[in-house]
Amino acid sequence: MHPVDLIALLPLLILAATSIVVMLTIALHRSHRLASLLTLIGLICAFASLWVARTLTPTEASPLLEVDSYAVFFLGLVIAATFVVVILAYDYLEKQPVNREEFYVLLLVASLGAGVLIVSAHFVSFFLGLELLSVALYALNAYVFTRALPVEAGIKYLVLAAGSAAFLLLGMALVYARVGTMEFSQIGGLVSGGGHLLKDPLMLAGLALIVTGVGFKLAVVPFHMWTPDVYEGAPAPVTAYVATVSKGAMFALLVRFFYVTGASSLGPVFLVFSVIAIASMLVGNLLALLQSNVKRILAYSSIAHLGYLLVAFLAAGRWAVEAVAFYLVAYFITTLGAFGVVTVLSNGERDADSLADYQGLFWRRPALAGIFALMLFSLAGIPLTAGFVGKFLLVRAGASSALWNLVVILVVTSVIGLFYYLRVIVALFASPETAAPSPAPSPAVSASGASTLVVLSALLVWLGVDPAFMLQVIERAISSLKLL
Amino acid sequence: MNILFYVASAVAIIATFLMLTRMNAVHALLYLIVSLLAVALVFYTLGAPFVAALEIIIYAGAIMVLFVFVVMMLNLGRAAEAQEREWQRPSLWVGPSVLAVVLIAEVIYVLTHADTRMFGAEVVGPHQVAQSLFGPYLIGVELASMLLLGGLVGAFHLGRRLEEKR
Repeated sequence: MHPVDLIALLPLLILAATSIVVMLTIALHRSHRLASLLTLIGLICAFASLWVARTLTPTEASPLLEVDSYAVFFLGLVIAATFVVVILAYDYLEKQPVNREEFYVLLLVASLGAGVLIVSAHFVSFFLGLELLSVALYALNAYVFTRALPVEAGIKYLVLAAGSAAFLLLGMALVYARVGTMEFSQIGGLVSGGGHLLKDPLMLAGLALIVTGVGFKLAVVPFHMWTPDVYEGAPAPVTAYVATVSKGAMFALLVRFFYVTGASSLGPVFLVFSVIAIASMLVGNLLALLQSNVKRILAYSSIAHLGYLLVAFLAAGRWAVEAVAFYLVAYFITTLGAFGVVTVLSNGERDADSLADYQGLFWRRPALAGIFALMLFSLAGIPLTAGFVGKFLLVRAGASSALWNLVVILVVTSVIGLFYYLRVIVALFASPETAAPSPAPSPAVSASGASTLVVLSALLVWLGVDPAFMLQVIERAISSLKLL
Repeated sequence: MNILFYVASAVAIIATFLMLTRMNAVHALLYLIVSLLAVALVFYTLGAPFVAALEIIIYAGAIMVLFVFVVMMLNLGRAAEAQEREWQRPSLWVGPSVLAVVLIAEVIYVLTHADTRMFGAEVVGPHQVAQSLFGPYLIGVELASMLLLGGLVGAFHLGRRLEEKR
């Protein structure tokens, strides 16, 4: 291992070092402000080091990790999202009756896991990254353990994540037993080299189990059962994190693994992903119609969004990767914004998650209601928001590969989706007379929280109106991905 | 001598199945220990004596002792004594014992016969394991240590009692 390789891994090393520094600081002097400041500084340093790492890319830092410009792009996305979550979590945690400082250690460990997933080029780092992310999330989901719902969310996530990890591990073992290597690029060479692998039962069984493990983390149908409960139960900033970083990192890995190995072009694998995509779009959007809890609505909407993303994933090719990357950026901003509003409205007793809490919010908190409406418009894919451009790119990618069935379902289910987003928006703007009799929690919003939400909204509109810059960045980033 | 591998695997599967179907935690643990020992033997027959040793030291040794202690500590008092007597009925320890005897017989056979490697597997000693762990897979080892840190901090946070209002 060369010193140069360590420089390429600098973003990950800084994340790991920050988590240790924060932990030691807690041991010496317990201060919420200090812990969160150190975390923010560490995240800024990690983000800045991306430019250093970029000059060295692409480099195989070890057989396990491959830092290329594709990875650097997603690392940036994950670090930025973690930054936002830390800011949002500060005020939220201040209101909670538990120790606050450990939150940041766990968050940094989770982000390290997400980062490892993004740069992994080997089953070992794939699994370790996944476990780093999962183990930190077990504790984060149950972080506010004085309330019943977070504990329930934590236990549900623990049992199901551990189970899915076992599936994934067995899948990796089966693939390894068949091809004799755990490196993605070598597996790719074998798959493209020998047609007999396409029909090998061991290989297909292994891939199916890997899809199960990945599908759980992405929360796509039929591996989505945990999503609404965990979204509802987990503290709002953690929900934002699970919805964005955890899924985004896994999707980045999904694209890398299946494109580099060429396994997504195998007939059965393609079929399985098509079924998952269709089921996710339908189930996500239809079940969201029945919910009256904002966090659950967002959970089902996220299931549907992952289904949309799978359409582009199946389309394959440059346009597809570009669409996936842009859609993830838009989805990150939107989801963080939406859960950001939920976070700042929550108090120490419960999260502001019932639809009644938002009844007539516009008349009490016009700015917050406006931002929330904007985020929902973007999720629905209304023009002039990032969500619209993202969806447009998805459709373009699907159409360019002539996946008409999937594209038609994407469009139809998006229209269904409009209904439940509009339901929330209608509630936001309901006249104050029809507002809920019991006033919803509406604590004061700090300057940091408010400015974060404003910045997210500005980004959302900017990407919706003028996506050229972001598309250019993405184009340069994905050029490193070796597509088969 | 592939039969040794299959016998050990069968013991592992049976023990794991019985462990899952036990209603009592301590009985389940007995089967789990047998299952772990059998897995260690599988590793050994496949040419990985070092991993086999680790499996026994860490899983069957340290982790199981921890499990047993925790279960026992949760069951203190007079009721526990009656339960203890209940647990010593032969029907409860015969099953794990039979499986363990099969494993012992196999271990004795392996130790007294020269060439017992399965499927033509090469023996991978501690030296080679260490070289790959601290060579190409160094990052993996470091990541595993971060994993432990995450688990530790999480357990610390969830396990501690709430302080009085600050």
